[in-house]
Amino acid sequence: MGGLAHYIEGEGIPTAQISLIREHTERLRPPRALFVPFPLGRPFGAANAPDFQRQVLQTVIGLLGSTDGPILEDFPDKAPGPQEVSEEELDGWTCPVNFASPVKDLSNADKFRKAIKQEIALLRPWYVESVAKQNGRRLDGLTKYRPEEIADLLIGYCEDPSMASFLDGEPLPRAIKLTADDLKHFYYQAALARPGSVTYEDIDNWFFGGSSAGMLILEVRKILIRSKDAALKRVGLINLLPHAMSHHAPKRPKG
Amino acid sequence: MVFMRDMPSATYDRIVNQELPEFGETKCVAGPPISDRRIAIVTTAGLHRRQDKPFALGVGEYRVIPDDTDMNDLIMSHISNNFDRTGFQQDLNVVFPIDRLRELAADGTIGSVARYHYAFMGATPPTDQAPVAKDLAQRLKEDDVSGVILAGV
Repeated sequence: MGGLAHYIEGEGIPTAQISLIREHTERLRPPRALFVPFPLGRPFGAANAPDFQRQVLQTVIGLLGSTDGPILEDFPDKAPGPQEVSEEELDGWTCPVNFASPVKDLSNADKFRKAIKQEIALLRPWYVESVAKQNGRRLDGLTKYRPEEIADLLIGYCEDPSMASFLDGEPLPRAIKLTADDLKHFYYQAALARPGSVTYEDIDNWFFGGSSAGMLILEVRKILIRSKDAALKRVGLINLLPHAMSHHAPKRPKG
Repeated sequence: MVFMRDMPSATYDRIVNQELPEFGETKCVAGPPISDRRIAIVTTAGLHRRQDKPFALGVGEYRVIPDDTDMNDLIMSHISNNFDRTGFQQDLNVVFPIDRLRELAADGTIGSVARYHYAFMGATPPTDQAPVAKDLAQRLKEDDVSGVILAGV
């Protein structure tokens, strides 16, 4: 981000950036930056908080008027939102659908496939409600596949890791990453139908710890990590499971 | 929440101490009063229209987001899992504050909203973005942009 600011300003156009990692901004020294004390992923603070978002945006735009850079200012306020909610309130969060017993034994692919499709069917009304609440906004659509088809494809990969890519113009590692993200996006959008505060950890724990689809992603990851193909291994090691969710991954054998 | 301060020390150190290129001092460019500025947003959140190709790792490329895009059509193909996406999932403006920018134009705080906005994917070495940044700057000039707001995730 700091690099882009240097390049664009160097071409004669004033820039001001939001900084989420102060240490990087101090080293990169872009012309103008506003450090915000918000979580990674939330440069304008909080969802559905237009006044607060406007305050952040107006503050960073205001920096454009200064020319005595490099400027690094601190936004003084914490964002409103789940991080301000008490532990008691957070403890109360539940997804619209809790799956009684996610399938953990992946040796029976048919049973596994059936379990995920049941989850998708249970989530569908919540997904539809969530899309309607967001005026038609959908989070999925990175690929052309429906969630049921993605489940079939990823289970197919578990059964035959030598399979060819199933996404036009994309190598297998990208096909796996994009479809896995699309499946997650369907689940997450359904989970967001429930009003109230939800945190990143709540929803990730629900998905990776409480759903058969999450189990599927973990199984795909396990196979990818064992791959001799560097790109596949990389997707498994880095791109499917957030660091904060590593407690859901099965322990890797030593050696 | 994914606060830097809450990360395990090893992860924190890896992120904070990652190799970054050295930039000299870039002189701040002056512009018209804020109330006359034409503002564009450049995000590194890996956003693009559903019809566009998803971002690929390590490629310094960008996607164009015309201001008349149906913003409900923007999706995120950022490769990283390690930032909080729930804000974006609930409200695009947490990452890409297009509605707020339009409000500031409507109430006269800024002059106008650019015709085009742009998206990169972070997790790309900054120097890989240099070749396309020149091209991007040219587009911004053609749009008479006099202020760029950059925001990552």
